Amino acid sequence: MSLGRFAVKRSLQGIGVVWGVVTVVFALRFVTPGSPINAVAPLDASQETRQAIAAELGLDQPLYVQYLQYIFDLLRGDMGFSYIKGQDVVTLVFGRLPATIELAVAASVVAIILAIPLGVISATRRNEPVDYGATLLSLGGISTPNFWLGIMLILVFAVEFNIFNTSGRGVDVGDVALSLVGPEPVLGTLLTWLAYITLPAIALGTYFMALITRLTRSGMLDELSKGYVQAARAKGLPQTLIRYKHALRNTLIPVITVLGLQLGTLIGGAVITEAVFSWPGLGSLVIDSINDRDWPTLQGSLIVIGTSFVFVNILVDVVYAYLDPEVVND
Amino acid sequence: MPTDNDNHVDRRTVLKYAGTAGAVGLAGCSGNGGDGGDGSDGSDGSDGSDGSDGSDGSDGGDDAFEVGVTMGQMDSGLDPQDHAETNTEIIVGQLYEGLLDRDKEGGIIAGLANEWERTDDGSVRFMLRDGLTFHNGDDVTPEDVRYSIRRIVFEDVGIVSPQSNDLGSVSEVTTGDGQVTVSFEGYNPIAFQLFATNGPVMQQSWVEENGGDYINRNANGTGPFQLSEYDSGNEVLYEPFEDYWDGAPEVDELRMSASSESSTRVNQLLAEETDIVTNVPPNEVSRVEGSDVASINSVASARIIFLQMRYDVEPFSSQQFRQAMNHAVDVESIIESVLNGFGNITAQPTLDGHVGHNPDIDPYPYDPEEAERLVEESGHAGVEITLETPIGRYLRDVEIAQAAANQIDSLSNVSCEVEQREFSSLVQDVTAPNIEDRPHFNLLGWGNAEFDGSQTLTPLLSSSGALTVLENDELDGLLEDAEATEDPDERVDILQEANQLAHDLAPWVFMHQQFSVYGVSDDISWEPRADEFIDPDTATQQ
Repeated sequence: MSLGRFAVKRSLQGIGVVWGVVTVVFALRFVTPGSPINAVAPLDASQETRQAIAAELGLDQPLYVQYLQYIFDLLRGDMGFSYIKGQDVVTLVFGRLPATIELAVAASVVAIILAIPLGVISATRRNEPVDYGATLLSLGGISTPNFWLGIMLILVFAVEFNIFNTSGRGVDVGDVALSLVGPEPVLGTLLTWLAYITLPAIALGTYFMALITRLTRSGMLDELSKGYVQAARAKGLPQTLIRYKHALRNTLIPVITVLGLQLGTLIGGAVITEAVFSWPGLGSLVIDSINDRDWPTLQGSLIVIGTSFVFVNILVDVVYAYLDPEVVND
Repeated sequence: MPTDNDNHVDRRTVLKYAGTAGAVGLAGCSGNGGDGGDGSDGSDGSDGSDGSDGSDGSDGGDDAFEVGVTMGQMDSGLDPQDHAETNTEIIVGQLYEGLLDRDKEGGIIAGLANEWERTDDGSVRFMLRDGLTFHNGDDVTPEDVRYSIRRIVFEDVGIVSPQSNDLGSVSEVTTGDGQVTVSFEGYNPIAFQLFATNGPVMQQSWVEENGGDYINRNANGTGPFQLSEYDSGNEVLYEPFEDYWDGAPEVDELRMSASSESSTRVNQLLAEETDIVTNVPPNEVSRVEGSDVASINSVASARIIFLQMRYDVEPFSSQQFRQAMNHAVDVESIIESVLNGFGNITAQPTLDGHVGHNPDIDPYPYDPEEAERLVEESGHAGVEITLETPIGRYLRDVEIAQAAANQIDSLSNVSCEVEQREFSSLVQDVTAPNIEDRPHFNLLGWGNAEFDGSQTLTPLLSSSGALTVLENDELDGLLEDAEATEDPDERVDILQEANQLAHDLAPWVFMHQQFSVYGVSDDISWEPRADEFIDPDTATQQ
């Protein structure tokens, strides 16, 4: 099978998964207790008012009509109208997506910057204090709930020492870029951006960091014991060259795969972190939508999260297939 | 919100920049040690004017008076007539106003109308102030007011407004020279109370020219603030409306944002990132009070908390059993231990200060022995009951329900347990069209925005009430009389009698009046209101 056909096949499978997500999310509305009408109408609203609101929201239609209408609208790029926010869901969801991507990427950067050097050092100095320290850090990172870590980071670094901001987004990364490349670059916007994003990025990225550290360490240990490394050493190549050019390069292939998959997880998994830091991303929108029974917005958000996940997976599969043609034949 | 001339903030700003510079340095350490030198650039940031961060008041470049308010939730769009909940009301209430308003204690005061009267046929007439303008500079006309009221009441005008219930008995609106007359289906004794709480005025042409999506993201009202930036679900920025009829507010910039986590709100306050935070939970109060940057400011709200008992199911069909439940719960101790004193014990559905409150009614005394005796007499000894409670809807609702249920359970002849339910799910049952489908025993809260006893008694305890758990002909008769009585004093007497009857019938375990608990920065002076609305235009700089 050619790489192109493989990509098409995986994309078609992805569309099937997205359709499944759409259907499950739509069905959830009908098995979850609580009506959206109660989120719109006051408690003492008359039955007439409730019925009028239901009719306005299209909730008085049969289930299959609502479903088919929703699928039809979705195919036209219409995710519906939020009766809670009074806005198009597309505007709402895509208005929040950049903040979530920004946080996910920042968390990944924090994780990668710390994890890969830590993993390499840990592997090259196996069973030394630095390895124990890195192992302990990884274990802590994997076992610490990120909401608790977030609260602790806020208490220490924002409230006690007033170094970072407790919550919110401040400025978006686009403004930072503009301020740096303008005719008179200013550092203030960058510093403000860092004051807001550093703590949530650490809170979200810690688990990720721990995972990559462990992965890098085991990968490096595996590679360093292989024959080509022994041969390189026998040839007298410098240790730094062997470790970083040869061993680390090979180690990074599975690490990149996990990175790709985890980026999708980060986009969907930032819900708690966004709530703790009042980060105005998709996660906060999901929580608000659940509390308000704002089904159109919740459906739209989950579909975007699900689609992002599927898209990243397909991308990783295709890249992996490109790197390792055996995958295509399998 | 602190400004650059504040020494404390200078320290904070320096620390922040040093810290962020450190973060840059830390990031740089991974690959190129030389990047750590960026830390020295932190000095660039000490010039607040460099930052384009308009949202962080601490970085402001002058001595502007900026106020930040952090609530639990953001708005549901900016259409002032298409919502029915407090957070949205607070956000849009800065931009839009009605004909009448309320003072901090809930008393009726002038709004866009500076005079109001009842006409001979029972209608109400409002005289508009001279020179009123919308934020876009256009004059406010009586036709705009007519359109606004009709848009709420009549579906064919534009929307199905969730506020239609509040003005539902309006039958027609007519206009005259600088005045608006509102007629009702029959006599409406609380017409002015209704218009002091409801009926924000919008410009007819502006609404008709723009779609719902636009109206929910933009604003054109008459309020003390006008919209400067709207970031849906994140924050709303306001600037003073210079042509405001009562003079532009002292506040130069107002920022409204939200955080669903109460600890995050308190952290923002203590880090001096905001000035007013709502719903500080009792367990966070000492943290705020112990700080040197903020303090607690609380006020008795217009919300009553109670345990509903359905009159048509055993054991609650017995008046003795219902009274026994009132004797079994030690409300004073719950207020003290669960709410840290932030609550007032109640004895009747109407709160102190509201029209119709009966000052002669005392709360049921905590008396477990009397409770056990009444249970025996009711014939329901040994009964097992379940108290359903929402989770997180009201201040410490679950803890209150658990404490009350424990006290009931400690009676020798009643067993009681708690069932926690997500509010949206519980409210679906509480508002079920038929009383047979409603919960038997549940905790609920009720806000009375009109400050009139009938607005609690009628929906919650009259036979036709949307949320009723009681059917009593005598109470129904009293409420009908109150509705039809034109003499205000006589009406108060009737409502007081209705409250006495409600106390005796005991359809609820009368719990407490909820407090609104705010954390307020020491940089500002601001007093909270009884109606849960937040009015930053009354804040002054300390």
